[in-house]
Amino acid sequence: MSTPQDPAPSVSLRGLTKDFAGATVVDHLDLDIASGEFFSLLGPSGCGKTTTLRMIAGFSDPTSGTILVGGEDVTCVPPHKRDVNTVFQSYALFEHLDVRGNVGFGLRRKGLDRRALDQRVSEMLELVELGDRAKEKPGRLSGGQRQRVALARALINEPKVLLLDEPLAALDLKLRHAMQAELKAIQREVGITFLFVTHDQDEALSMSDRVAIMHNGVIEQCGAPEDVYERPTSVFAAGFIGTSNLMSGTWSAGCVCVADDLSIPVPGHRDSAEGDTVSLTVRPEKIWLSDLTPQMFRVTGTIVATSYHGATTQYVVSIAPDLTLTVLEQNLPQMRSDDRWHSGDRVEVGWLPEHTVVLR
Amino acid sequence: MARARKLERKPVFAVAVTAVFFAWLYLPILAVALFSFNDKKSLSSFGGFSVRWYDDLFHNDALLDSLAASLKIATAATLGSLVLGTMLALGLERVTSRRGRVIGAVTLLPLVTPEIVTGVAALLLFTGIGLKLSMTTVILAEITFSIAYVTVIVRGRLAGIAGEVEEAARDLGCTPFQAVRLVTLPTLVPALIGAGLLVFALVFDDFVLAFFTTGVDPQPLPVRVYSSIRFGVSPAINAIGTLMLVASALLIIAALWVPRLFHRGSSSLDLITGGDRR
Repeated sequence: MSTPQDPAPSVSLRGLTKDFAGATVVDHLDLDIASGEFFSLLGPSGCGKTTTLRMIAGFSDPTSGTILVGGEDVTCVPPHKRDVNTVFQSYALFEHLDVRGNVGFGLRRKGLDRRALDQRVSEMLELVELGDRAKEKPGRLSGGQRQRVALARALINEPKVLLLDEPLAALDLKLRHAMQAELKAIQREVGITFLFVTHDQDEALSMSDRVAIMHNGVIEQCGAPEDVYERPTSVFAAGFIGTSNLMSGTWSAGCVCVADDLSIPVPGHRDSAEGDTVSLTVRPEKIWLSDLTPQMFRVTGTIVATSYHGATTQYVVSIAPDLTLTVLEQNLPQMRSDDRWHSGDRVEVGWLPEHTVVLR
Repeated sequence: MARARKLERKPVFAVAVTAVFFAWLYLPILAVALFSFNDKKSLSSFGGFSVRWYDDLFHNDALLDSLAASLKIATAATLGSLVLGTMLALGLERVTSRRGRVIGAVTLLPLVTPEIVTGVAALLLFTGIGLKLSMTTVILAEITFSIAYVTVIVRGRLAGIAGEVEEAARDLGCTPFQAVRLVTLPTLVPALIGAGLLVFALVFDDFVLAFFTTGVDPQPLPVRVYSSIRFGVSPAINAIGTLMLVASALLIIAALWVPRLFHRGSSSLDLITGGDRR
């Protein structure tokens, strides 16, 4: 069902701005989402991601800026005339209609004849595996099933872009993981552009082609999941996704002096001048506690806390006064519990220089 | 063990209180029903089974006219207040301003205003503007009085519907007006049935407002019953009371069963009884 790549992006935002009572919620957003892309807007609550979604859907008028859908300017087009559909956080199902009536609602508005409509609704119910619940009222469905009805009701219209507003937030953890995989598979199958809003980093990383991290109304960083995780560019991006060992210090002779007597070399970094303050980060799982190699940057420290997480063990290592590193170690099959480190142990930690990431 | 047994003991006191409560509530009504079949004119001794008071009733044109008048008044007031009250509820749901919330609170005032005040006020208004007292004035007064009930019930239901539902309709191709017509109103049907039943029952036997605002003929049933009592009680009033009782029982059964026929999960009466909420 995949269509040839549309040259025009599905969604383009140009200088999109929204002010609420004097506060700027979305601040000059520029964004292009390619056709067929699974794109996530990730950020804490209040970062402006839902407001952005509502402006694209047409429920909220931008203060300034332009919204293009499929290359057409829709900034002043009312929601019912936009080629965009939404999966709402509350699902917003029509309780007076059965599953079939809900799913067929959009096409009936478009005046599709009864036979074609029935055919399309049946296909869509097959896709979301709800064929046997077609005659049920939404009130009799489970949370996961309601979610699928909401998805089918939006997808059946084959919009240029499907907007999803934290659609999995109301589901329990197990169901959420199952739905993540399913949602991704469905998106691949129908080839429709998904714009997915979430505050859940796992969701964003595991499902998306690209992720934009949003904070205070601006996009902090935008890129493939590996990029935003492995190479965060800002302190906020590094801190928001995963656990980060944030350090900062003065730039001097190719090193960042993060504490007295502790300088971390950053080979290849040329953007800072002598004396600048530079922030950097290392992901906890990139730091080694044993099997250190000569290429690694090494530093000695003391274990101050340990916590066991099943698959991993997390250590907090003090490497200087007021400076600790969080280290995540896999609990490998050959390891016994007495192999693990304990609080108070002196250890040497190290990581490869390329895992030191400089932040703006 | 002793403690556990104590907890499992039957709640004798609660059962007794409930029994007394039901007896207190329904024995007088049962007495009315029983004495409507009394062969004697007495209201205290039962002289054998007869339907003569029903026969009497169906030949009492004044009483039948009043019954018809009350049914008309209740129907008109129900329809009028449903339309206006629903519009008011939909409007109030959309205002977020402080002034809007104040207006929302003011709409509830008729619920707590003593009816006699509303009655006198309506009477003064109608005579003041030179409107002749008639069935129309009763209907106008009853609509005014009932709007608040409809608004309260409909707003309660609206609050239970996610605000996103109307947006979903617009997202799927509805204009704002179509969204209300195709989604919001159908979703409100159980609430509208519940509110309609409540208002009908309230207006049908409302005495105070009807007494102040009615014209001479035909008088609403409660007013007619009251004035006829002053000339001695006829057991025909028991008969009409019993018929009304049966009619309202049928209405309640219909309200419980009609939604089930349409495979609705919940009945419209749940709004009044608090029924099984999801």
